[in-house]
Amino acid sequence: MRIGIPKGLLYCRYHTFFETFFSKLGSEIIVSEQTNKDIMDMGVEFCVDEACLPVKVFHGHAASIKDRCDYLIIPRIMSICKKEYICPKFCGLPEMIIHSIPHVPKVSMEPIYMQNEKEFFKWCFSAGSAVTKNSAKIKKAFISAKKAQKKSRTGIIEPGQKLTVMLAGHPYVIFDEYLNMGIVNKLRAKGIGIITEEFVSDSETCEEVKKLVKKPFWTFQRRIFGAACVLLRHKRIDGIIYLSSFACGIDSVIIDLIRYCIGHFPMLVIKLDEHTGEAGMDTRVEAFIDMLERRVLNENYNPSPWECVFSGQNPV
Amino acid sequence: MYALGVDVGSVSTNIVLVDNSGNVVEKLYIRTKGRPMEAVRSGLAVLKEKYDDRQIQSVGVTGSGRMIAAIQIGADIAKNEITAHAVAAIQMDPEVKTVVEIGGQDSKIIIIRNGIVTDFAMNTVCAAGTGSFLDRQAERLEIPIEQFGDYALEAAVPVRIAGRCAVFAESDMIHKQQLGYAAFDIIGGLCEALVRNYLSNVAKGKELLPKVLFQGGVAANKGIHKAFENELQLPVFVPPHYDVMGAIGAAILAREKLEREKKKTMFKGFSVSDAEFKSRSFICSGCPNRCEVVCVLENQKAIGYFGDRCGKYNNRSFSSPAVYV
Repeated sequence: MRIGIPKGLLYCRYHTFFETFFSKLGSEIIVSEQTNKDIMDMGVEFCVDEACLPVKVFHGHAASIKDRCDYLIIPRIMSICKKEYICPKFCGLPEMIIHSIPHVPKVSMEPIYMQNEKEFFKWCFSAGSAVTKNSAKIKKAFISAKKAQKKSRTGIIEPGQKLTVMLAGHPYVIFDEYLNMGIVNKLRAKGIGIITEEFVSDSETCEEVKKLVKKPFWTFQRRIFGAACVLLRHKRIDGIIYLSSFACGIDSVIIDLIRYCIGHFPMLVIKLDEHTGEAGMDTRVEAFIDMLERRVLNENYNPSPWECVFSGQNPV
Repeated sequence: MYALGVDVGSVSTNIVLVDNSGNVVEKLYIRTKGRPMEAVRSGLAVLKEKYDDRQIQSVGVTGSGRMIAAIQIGADIAKNEITAHAVAAIQMDPEVKTVVEIGGQDSKIIIIRNGIVTDFAMNTVCAAGTGSFLDRQAERLEIPIEQFGDYALEAAVPVRIAGRCAVFAESDMIHKQQLGYAAFDIIGGLCEALVRNYLSNVAKGKELLPKVLFQGGVAANKGIHKAFENELQLPVFVPPHYDVMGAIGAAILAREKLEREKKKTMFKGFSVSDAEFKSRSFICSGCPNRCEVVCVLENQKAIGYFGDRCGKYNNRSFSSPAVYV
């Protein structure tokens, strides 16, 4: 049995789990390549036009391996934290793939509720049953996959020469080098330190969002917004670069929420879409870094930008 | 002794010579027409008649075509447009707090406090409200772009036109034309729509304090200028060299850099205007990224590459390395 795993969307975060699980079941695993032009082109060709770029790219990944596997893992991830959800496009992902790409093999359809072990096992049992009828083996594979996932970490934390920025955005945008036009390397080459939301603990972000009138609906909204506020408050960053995919509804909420709460703290929002011309991004990043450098050199310009977080009343 | 500043934009290529006290002694405004190297070459050919290589102390380039221009002429610095525009604006008027810049393909806002850029924004996905859009509409209405602003000022009752998207603005405008509205009023309405679009997209959430400078090619348009003043309820100043501010900024930055580092210029000399420049692009098949690599040729000899993500071509050293900061 050959199991196909597209290297798109939350693969970057949960690949250890899925790969361990299926290899423990004794199946052969086919993972698509890193995103490249062919995959992007295929994704744009197959996917419905309204979807965001990461969903399109996911279609490309699925299409690139569909003929080489017997069972395609299309994770319908509904939720990864209690009472919080993931982008609604994940709910319909299997249907989108089956509808848009011709001749797809069998696809995993069950929803995934990752925060709840029992619920999560349901998915594993249904997907695992496609490989083996031995339920003890599935249970064992589930346990070792969970263990392996616990040990794996994603995120970027790198010290810089003078400046550090928070690279914010959905993980599938930050960790897809092709999609984000290699921004991590661009910042590295300029000697800029990078930190992502993974390095702020869940409890800290939960503390932070308690100050909001309404509890965040999406996990990434809580994580990114909370982390931005915590990092800023602890003076660990000099600016925020937000990578947003064009047409992402959740980003539009998070960006405005962050903007509202950080006052005059510098934030650069980069909208990503299909274009491959890098001049637009280079100009914005370069100008942003120039601005940060000059701000640091003239610190008395703005006494303490960090104090503007949640200054005064907070009607959000 | 002069500093040479070159701004290779999507619509125009601007070249300036700035003397030691910061005065603009020479200024050229050339239409790029999609051929940046030809535009730079023809500009240098004009300067060659009047100036000597030794009079050029430093060279700075900016604009979306800065990479290619830096390789072509041997620049000391290649800087982004935002920094260049801000530096020029501060030099022109130390009191400036807000810079509105509208060029051919993009529009920006730069917020300056106490002589430091504290915030900026550029248009994201839509080019509505930029010079090339206005160019296109002027062509549609068969009005020379130079007179566009005068027409707008004649408008008695500017027509309301949707300004969110260039394509929709155009179709809205055509509908209004079909209904028989006067050209003056349509143009007046278009200027208002573009300013509204700019303020709600690019300048969204920014604090626009006086003094406001309006620069970039579109600042020549009196209609847009007036629409900005009406909408902001503030006086908006158009500096004397509004159309070449990016080039002035590049020149200043280049001079500052060489003075700081005590280095000599990398300028290749005005003779580059005699050389034949070509560029050729190919798709690298080294990996599945399939980068579109551009190779710049001077008299059939490769002098620089860019466009590859991995640096396979980019990192090749050449006799005239461009300095990117």
